[in-house]
Amino acid sequence: MDAIRTEGLTKHYRVGFWRPRPYVALEGLTLEVRQGEVFGFLGPNGAGKTTTLKLLMQLIYPTSGHAEILGRPVGDAAVRRRVGYLPENPSFYDYLTAEELLEYVGALFGYGPSARRARAARLLDEVGIGAERRLHLRKFSKGMLQRVGIAQALVNDPEVIVFDEPMSGLDPLGRREIRELVLRLRDRGCTVFFSSHVLADAEALCSRVAIVAGGRLAAVGQLADLVAFQVRGWELVVAGLGPEAVERAKGAGLVMRATAVGDGRYALELPLSVAPERALAELTTGGARLVSLNPLRETLEDFFVRQVGAAPRDRGLD
Amino acid sequence: MRVIGHVAVNVFKESVRDRVLYNLVAFAALLIGASYLIGQLTAGQDVKIIKDLGLAAIATFGLLIAVFIGIGLVWNEVERRSIYSLLSKPIRRYEFILGKYAGLALTLLVNVAIMTAAFYAVLAYLATQFPGSGAVDPGLLRAVALIVLELLLVTAIALFFSTFSSPFLSAALTFGLWVIGHFNADLRNFEAVVQSPAAARLARGLYYVLPNFAAFDIKTQAVQALPVPGSYLVATALYGVVYIALLLAGAVMVFARRDFK
Amino acid sequence: MKGALILVVLLAGVVGLQAVHERGGGRPAAREESLLYVRSPEAAARLALSYRSLLADLYWIRAVQYYGGTRLSTDPDRQYALLYPLLDLTTSLEPRFNVAYYYGSTFLAEAPPGGPGRPDLAIALLQKGLRAQPGRWEFAQWIGFVHYWWRQDYEQAAAWFGRAAQFPNAPIWMAPLAATTLAEGGRRDSSRLLWQQVADTAEDEGFRNEARRRLLQLDAMDQIDRLQQIVNGYRQQRGVLPADWDELRRAGSLQGTPVDPTGVPYRLQAEGVTLGPGSRLFPLPAERARVR
Repeated sequence: MDAIRTEGLTKHYRVGFWRPRPYVALEGLTLEVRQGEVFGFLGPNGAGKTTTLKLLMQLIYPTSGHAEILGRPVGDAAVRRRVGYLPENPSFYDYLTAEELLEYVGALFGYGPSARRARAARLLDEVGIGAERRLHLRKFSKGMLQRVGIAQALVNDPEVIVFDEPMSGLDPLGRREIRELVLRLRDRGCTVFFSSHVLADAEALCSRVAIVAGGRLAAVGQLADLVAFQVRGWELVVAGLGPEAVERAKGAGLVMRATAVGDGRYALELPLSVAPERALAELTTGGARLVSLNPLRETLEDFFVRQVGAAPRDRGLD
Repeated sequence: MRVIGHVAVNVFKESVRDRVLYNLVAFAALLIGASYLIGQLTAGQDVKIIKDLGLAAIATFGLLIAVFIGIGLVWNEVERRSIYSLLSKPIRRYEFILGKYAGLALTLLVNVAIMTAAFYAVLAYLATQFPGSGAVDPGLLRAVALIVLELLLVTAIALFFSTFSSPFLSAALTFGLWVIGHFNADLRNFEAVVQSPAAARLARGLYYVLPNFAAFDIKTQAVQALPVPGSYLVATALYGVVYIALLLAGAVMVFARRDFK
Repeated sequence: MKGALILVVLLAGVVGLQAVHERGGGRPAAREESLLYVRSPEAAARLALSYRSLLADLYWIRAVQYYGGTRLSTDPDRQYALLYPLLDLTTSLEPRFNVAYYYGSTFLAEAPPGGPGRPDLAIALLQKGLRAQPGRWEFAQWIGFVHYWWRQDYEQAAAWFGRAAQFPNAPIWMAPLAATTLAEGGRRDSSRLLWQQVADTAEDEGFRNEARRRLLQLDAMDQIDRLQQIVNGYRQQRGVLPADWDELRRAGSLQGTPVDPTGVPYRLQAEGVTLGPGSRLFPLPAERARVR
């Protein structure tokens, strides 16, 4: 039994008030997420990620197709007891405290007063909300709301967790904490299905990913198979190099682009065809000192463009 | 049932913290201020006027709360996206609607109860000033009871609109229905005014369909200590309850089909 | 800092302009209370929604204020033009506003300058009340009253008292009152009987007080008659009017300075004995020959 399974899941909206036209938010999505995996659902903004997740939570109803969680149709009330969901940019009740919100959620799951208090305290610790838990949520920053949102998704110790952009609104430290939390959840045997438009998140966490663009599934598989080899060059940062030397390197085809970054430093972009060792050797003889060398990966956006090609811009049905 | 209760308590808690109960201060100030002023302004009728004013104020403050909270009950949750995480919990959509309704109803009941207590306190004071005026008349509670029912109906209307329309439009529609509901008798007798039989039939149809708010207004009768037949109270209460059930059923159906884009 | 300065300057400007405004004498004078925005009782009742009683109260307060204000105004041409429309609106909004009928008819009937002197409108108002509540004998009694007291039409008064006596819940003294009015209308004894009934039976404290005042007026009228006799006797004896009450006292006709039932000394003038200045019994009702 898969944790999540969709078959031909399709959602069309009608947009426009006077002359409603159909708009394809999602077209024929067929996908399986196995139990215990951390699965990344990737795509640029507007690709249909949130639509898919809302269909799984039955916040919207599919135009056609079918979705299951743990082998039961998504509408099944019993299945909701085993699922946790973090919506995109979550927002809750202004006049509740974080503690009260989690206790309220616990009450909806049917936990008794002391059980829900204990769960609220444990989860707020887990997502790193300290004394602020006694503040009204309207005083919370975006990042803190994100943490509260993650906590409320975990109140029922869900077997399947659906996160919509879990890293959004978090600072680098917060992102790292959430990554660690996701790995802990995986170690407990949870299935984590999350959407993101940031490749790095997926690289750090996922066993498999699906990539959507333009409302259609573009690729599914291990991330390494899909993107890992797609290094498109190197970025070399050097110090102690004169402008003439840079021009010379450019003229020799060693450097595609040079950007002065101050203090006599330059960020140089090397093409894939030039081995970085060779370029470095040439430049150091001209007096340059190495500051850093990094592979230039293609961004997820680049990947989408390549995978999807000219993604259909017009998503009307007509 | 349990889930509905939790949603209701949450609505109540939030409205209390959103300072909804501050209206009680305004109510008390209005009533006490008026009791003081009216003695200076008029001859003899202080107690009657305070009774009129107290009942009208209870109805009006309640109406404002019912409309202005009612119109946001569902809409705000959708607009602020708090509904997304809520509906992913084991809560059915109809439970959400009924819980929201019960929560505002609870807020209103507490509010009206406190206002009524303050009202009777002022009347008790007046009774010491005007002995034998019958200021503390438990018969006024009949009017309060129908006011409560009217407020519950207004809440149901506001909630119904709130499931699909913006707060501004919902407020306009709810107030509109409330006003029309007081012109009900005119709709009944429309054929006396217009020539067109079609218009008269339409008016007659509206008379039966639109909420008859005038029926809930027995403030004048209560203040004048006139008899109101028990059968009238029962029939009006029944009418209110059935109408509320109709609106809630409508709200549940609209809400159950909704996509939360 | 700069912001604070701007605020101070603007505040000073507001204060200064308000001072200029005040020196100018405020708003241009407007005739007060000369407007009644809604004159149609039906329209007012519609617009009132569920606030009919409260709106009736407001119109009632306005009527009382209007009556009192006009009465106290020093304008020699003062009119009570809005009094009846205000009372009509009040009673249309709340047809059972009984005090508005009773007090309102009293205001309307009161002779100038203390009132508009419109017993006809007073009767119209009371008849409206009787139409709204056909079971209330008090309206019939009060209509008879207005006929009796303000029109001195004792036949009409007796007829209305007789009608009042027909009501199933009318008090037993109503029938004798009708008979007495017909036989002796205009006499103080019958008036006294009338007011005494009101003083004993009226529901409203204000009416009981008014009836007591009327009874005191009747007492004062009796006293004035007796004083006038004493003055007339002195004049016949000495051929001149007494200069003051002291002269009469020295002549042994009086024990001291005569005072009315409220304690205000009577005034002695060439035209006759009258109430002293400031007496709250003023003005005494006119007494006319019985209308046939």
